[in-house]
This record gives sequence, structure tokens and C-alpha cells, in this order.
Amino acid sequence: MRSSDEKVVAVIMVGGPTKGTRFRPLSLNIPKPLFPLAGQPMVHHPISACKRIPNLAQIYLVGFYEEREFALYVSSISNELKVPVRYLKEEKPHGSAGGLYNFRDLIMEDNPSHVFLLNCDVCCSFPLPEMLEAHKRYGGMGTILVIKVSAESASEFGELVADPITNELLHYTEKPETFVSDRINCGVYVFTPDIFTAIQGVSSQRKDRANLRRMSSFDALQSAARNPPTDFVRLDQDILTPLAGKKQLYTYETMDFWEQIKTPGMSLKCSALYLAQFRFTSPNLLAHGDGTNSATIIGDVYIHPSAKVHPSAKIGPNVSISANARIGAGVRLISCIILDGVEIMENAVVTNAIVGWKSLIGRWSRVQAGGHYNAKLGITILGEAVAVEDEVVVTNSIVLPHKTLNVSVQEEILL
Amino acid sequence: MKALILVGGFGTRLRPLTLSVPKPLVEFGNKPMILHQIEALKAVGVNEVVLAINYQPEVMLNFLKEFEAKLGIKIICSQETEPLGTAGPLALARDKLIDGSGEPFFVLNSDVISEYPFQEMIEFHKGHGGEASIMVTKVDEPSKYGVVVMEESTGQVEKFVEKPKLFVGNKINAGIYLLNPSVLDHIELRPTSIEKEVFPKIAAEKKLYAMVLPGFWMDIGQPRDYITGLRLYLDSLRKKSSTKLATGSHIVGNVLVHETAKIGEGCLIGPDVAIGPGCVVESGVRLSRCTVMRGVRIKKHACISSSIIGWHSTVGQWARVENMTILGEDVHVCDEIYSNGGVVLPHKEIKSSILKPEIVM
Repeated sequence: MRSSDEKVVAVIMVGGPTKGTRFRPLSLNIPKPLFPLAGQPMVHHPISACKRIPNLAQIYLVGFYEEREFALYVSSISNELKVPVRYLKEEKPHGSAGGLYNFRDLIMEDNPSHVFLLNCDVCCSFPLPEMLEAHKRYGGMGTILVIKVSAESASEFGELVADPITNELLHYTEKPETFVSDRINCGVYVFTPDIFTAIQGVSSQRKDRANLRRMSSFDALQSAARNPPTDFVRLDQDILTPLAGKKQLYTYETMDFWEQIKTPGMSLKCSALYLAQFRFTSPNLLAHGDGTNSATIIGDVYIHPSAKVHPSAKIGPNVSISANARIGAGVRLISCIILDGVEIMENAVVTNAIVGWKSLIGRWSRVQAGGHYNAKLGITILGEAVAVEDEVVVTNSIVLPHKTLNVSVQEEILL
Repeated sequence: MKALILVGGFGTRLRPLTLSVPKPLVEFGNKPMILHQIEALKAVGVNEVVLAINYQPEVMLNFLKEFEAKLGIKIICSQETEPLGTAGPLALARDKLIDGSGEPFFVLNSDVISEYPFQEMIEFHKGHGGEASIMVTKVDEPSKYGVVVMEESTGQVEKFVEKPKLFVGNKINAGIYLLNPSVLDHIELRPTSIEKEVFPKIAAEKKLYAMVLPGFWMDIGQPRDYITGLRLYLDSLRKKSSTKLATGSHIVGNVLVHETAKIGEGCLIGPDVAIGPGCVVESGVRLSRCTVMRGVRIKKHACISSSIIGWHSTVGQWARVENMTILGEDVHVCDEIYSNGGVVLPHKEIKSSILKPEIVM
């Protein structure tokens, strides 16, 4: 163990119930960060990546969900990883930088030398130790994980320009209307504690400006609508954009996968990416079988130990089956997430779908979609406790919790 | 006694099945459509059947040769060189129908499936003493058809009203006639309609009588009606000779399974299913309201409803075939594929799902 000033702390921003509405209907039942990808809660993937950081002292989850929603998970993961994981509830959203700043005293409690900041809703290989090494070489205040994407899709994200030799961040702009760069911000950062001073600077500038504006009632109205509260500080627009080109921020480019998990459809794609990563990181989590004693497994499949899968079923690729699910004889599952307590009866087929908690899929029924992860109805989603009766076909549809389907539906949202 | 069956042309309405086989030879309830009629005619003493046909008579005759011997009935063709409508073919076959006995002869539309109560029709014909008898059947929506207006007690036909806008009656022409040879004197050798030109004249002379067809009736000239017709036919078979229908814990409702077909474990078959000779239905398969033609293989866990699977086709594991999917001859639906109303021409392989009804060329 090196000296105490070498300690590292990781902060994972998990958001809150008013965020992530695009993740409905799945987020009606569970905080989005706890939704399972590859059989593990979404937030589990960045957390277990943090475990690879040398001298990791503490992981904080920061968000505005109720504490009780994370209590069980936080205690079990602390035990499992032997690293303290703690949930910190914001009273209101402060923005990603504001949220970090809000808890600066706790985060800095053990005088860490570096602070990682991760967004929970990104899916990547989180090359955190490599980022930290690079960050130390650069000698700046912060290092941002970046990835090269297609020019067409770049504008959905924060686009940035980096010096090809020094990797210094030269320019940063959030979701630009015109093309700036095909390098984008992955939402994963490592900072030295100086970041808190930078956030404080933005916050106090805001206060000054707010005081100046208190001149006419018209201006006050305008500013209330346009300007966020003074303690609301966004990392991208308020920190990255002004500090670009000032030799304080650097970039580390990943050649691995990266996706943003905004919609249920994307969660299915990200589940596939994490399952594929398990081949290298946790091969013990992947299922095997050839149909003799256990089900035939094709490609990457996760099956929770408490789930029951009939040996005549054929599962995969890209299937995750959660706790206590029951998969009957002759069932075929392809590219799907089967949540806790689901029962799938004989000869049913599920493909390109997410089947909600305790749902029931009848004999010879079929739950399917075209598999376009980004399309509105590209993946069929069944909410909690949905029943699909025998022989019914559900295609490209979203079904809200507690519905019973006794006739086939196609391209429908069933409230 | 003689009979004329109006076979007609290419059977385009029943494509893609009729791209492989002339329409009268397409199996219905595991028997070529025309054999249902020929067998029923033979049963009431018809010994000579004339097929009025304008397409591929060789294929038909080759096929029917074996039945000529088996049933002891003479089958001949009267080939139209141009379409002659519904009455013209009678004039064309005049010499083949008239043998000097003066006996009436049957005329049947080949698309029509029913219980063929020919004996009752003969008695009805003798009873009224007119020149022609036609079968009529009751329908729910008479405005879609030609309605026969008749005197209810005697059956004497007053007039024909084509697609009436106002209700004039609910009995329509069922396409089954028993005619005296003298009727042929009313028909010229040209394209002409029996309903519009011939019968109205006979009706005007009060020599046309209509008999209400007992039992079911269906024009099975197109796939949807073919599937409905199978249900009606199997219902009728259940009443008349239920021993022909399959039984067992895996059977629901009326199901016809050819003796050479094999059914695997854990299947659920029915209602209203016909499985043809040499078919293999593997384990865990679900079939309902469908016809599976000769030599088809349905692989494990597949599910088929409201569809027709053409000769020697295969349906892959966990495939779902439904909603008026019609597979032509030798079509192969790959594993896990979904077909919602796909109409597939012969000799195709279906590798991607058909989400909405469409024709696969």
C-alpha cells in the first residue's frame, strides 16, 4: 500500500426517478440503474470496473432516488467486492458537476489523490486503470474517456477535439447542430481534487450574475426560465467547454465498445455487449449446455442459478435469464432479457424482447420484434406481470404492467 | 346417367397452389377437390363425367385415368379453346351429354364443396316435372351474390336478381344443377351465362325449380374460403362418418390425419386440420385450422394456424405460420421464422420473417 494521498474514490451518477423516463415501462418498477444487463444491475458493471482501480478506497453512488431503493443493493455489493459502496441522495438534481460538488466533503474525507466520475447509463468496458495511468502522465486536472463514432451519430453526444500528439482537450461542445468532430465524450472521467475548485468557480460566477440581473422584473422572469439555479452545474457545458484548450483537460480514447443506455431497446443491445465481455472478465457467469442434461446454449447466455430451464429448450445468443424464472420444454429464447419470476410455457418463442417480472408466456405463444434497438417499437417490451395467453403473437409492441393479452397484437402500445 | 363438371381455367384465385396442380386436383380434406364430386356422382349412378376445361386437360386426364378404373366411371374432357362462360361449355359438350335416353344430367361448378345430396335432387326433379332443377343455399349476406327468388312451397323459381341492394330473398345459386337434355336447346355455342341468359328463360316458362341444399355449402375457390370450407366439411364428416377422424389426447376437434402421416410427441392438433399422406409432424408442434399437403415436414415446436402448407414444403423449428399464410409447393420456412399472411410461390426458401401479409414471388 502506498501513502494515503494515493487513494482513489469513484463516484457514479445514477440520476433519479424523474430522469430516465425514456426507459419506461421498465423504470416503472425499478430504478433504471438497477435494471439488469447481462443478469447484473446496470450500475454493477461500472462498479465492478472500479474494483480494478489500484488503491480504490470508496465508491459513492450519487442520485435522487430514495435511499431505500438502493439500500439492499449497496450492502450486498459492498460485501461482494470488499470495497465500501455508499448511496448519497441529492435533495434535488444539481447537474453532474453540481452533484459531485454537493458531496465534496464526504468524497474528500480520506484525501484521495484522484476522483473518478462515471455516468451509470453508459455501457463500455470502463478501462479505468488505463485512464488513470494516462491521466497521471498528462498531469492535468481531468481526463475524459472518448470514443470515435460515425459522423452522423456524433451530434447526439458531446463532441470534442483533442490534440493528436498531447491528447489535450482543445474544444468541447455539447450536442452541436453542425459537425464538429467524430470524437465524443463517453461520460467517464478522472479528476484531481482541483475539480472542486473549478466547480466552485462556476457556481460563484453564477451567483454574481444572478445578483447583477436583479434589475427589472422582465429580466428576472427571463433568467428564471433560462438560467439554472446557482448550485446547478453541468459538467459538459459549464466545465468542459470553458476549460478546453487551457492545458487542464486531456482525453483517453477507448477502442472498445461504448453505448448510451437511454431506452429499453438499447438495454438489450448493451446486455449483449456485457455478455460478450464476460467471455474475458467473468467466463464463469456464462451458461453452457448441449441439450443432453441441460438446455442447448447458443452464444453468450446468462442464467441465474435459481432459474429453471428445461433441457429441451434452446437458449441464445444474447439471452439473460434472471432469478426464479421458469423456462418450459421446447422453449426457444433468442436475444432477450427474461426478468425475475417469469414463466415461459412449452414451445413458446421469445425473440428481441424484454419480458417483465413475473410475466407469463403461454404455450406456443410468440413474443417478438424486428430487433432495431433504436426504433420506438424495435424491441417488444412486456411490463411487470403481463400474461400472454396460449398461441398469442405479440410483435413490435410495448405492454404496460398487469395486462393480459388474449389476442395477437402488432405495433401497439398497450396501456 | 351423365354429369358435366365446369372446371374452367387457371384457378388463379387459388394460387400459388394452382401453379403446381390444376385446381380440381388440389387436395381438400386429403382428397382432390374433383374426386369429392366424382365419388358423390358415382354413388347415385352417374357412369360418365364430362370435364369442361380450358387448361391442361392432359394433366387432368392422366391423373383421372386411375380413378376411371377404380370407380368404374368414364371421365372425358370437353376442351374450350376460348372461355365460354358458365353456359357455353354445355353447348360445346352437347354431343357428349345427349345419348338419346332422355335422362337428365348433372352440372356442377367444380369450386363448390357440399354434402352433394344428388339422390334427393333426382327425386325433387322427378317430383316437380319441370325442365331444370337448381340447388340453392341460404347465405347471411345475399347482397354479395345472385339471389334466386322462388315460390317457397313448390320451389318454382320466379326470377334471378344479381347482387340485390334491397332484400329479395336469402337463397343463392349453389352451382349444382340437374337438367333435362331439352335445356341444351336453349343454349347457343358462344360465351354465355347460365344464370343470366339460360335460367331466366326457363324460369319464365315456369319450368325451373329450386331445391334448398341441406347441409353445408362453400365455394372454396380462394384460400380463405378453402380454410372455412374445411371446417364445414370436417363438421359434416363428424356427423356422417366420424371414424375417419383422428382421436387421441393430442387431438382437439375435427382432425383428418392420413394413415401414412407421422405425428410426434407433445403435439396439439386441431381443430379443423387435414394432414396429408407422408407428412412428418415432429414433437411439440401445434396445428390448428390448417391443411398440410402431401409430403410436408413440420419441425419441432413449430406452430401453424389458419394456413395452407403446400406439397413437400418444410416448416422449421419454432417457426410460426399463421393468418392465411399459403405456402406453394416445395417452400422451405427456416427455423424460428414468423409468417403472418405470407403467400409464397413454389420452390422458395423463407429466411426472414414476414410480419404483414405479402406475396413472396
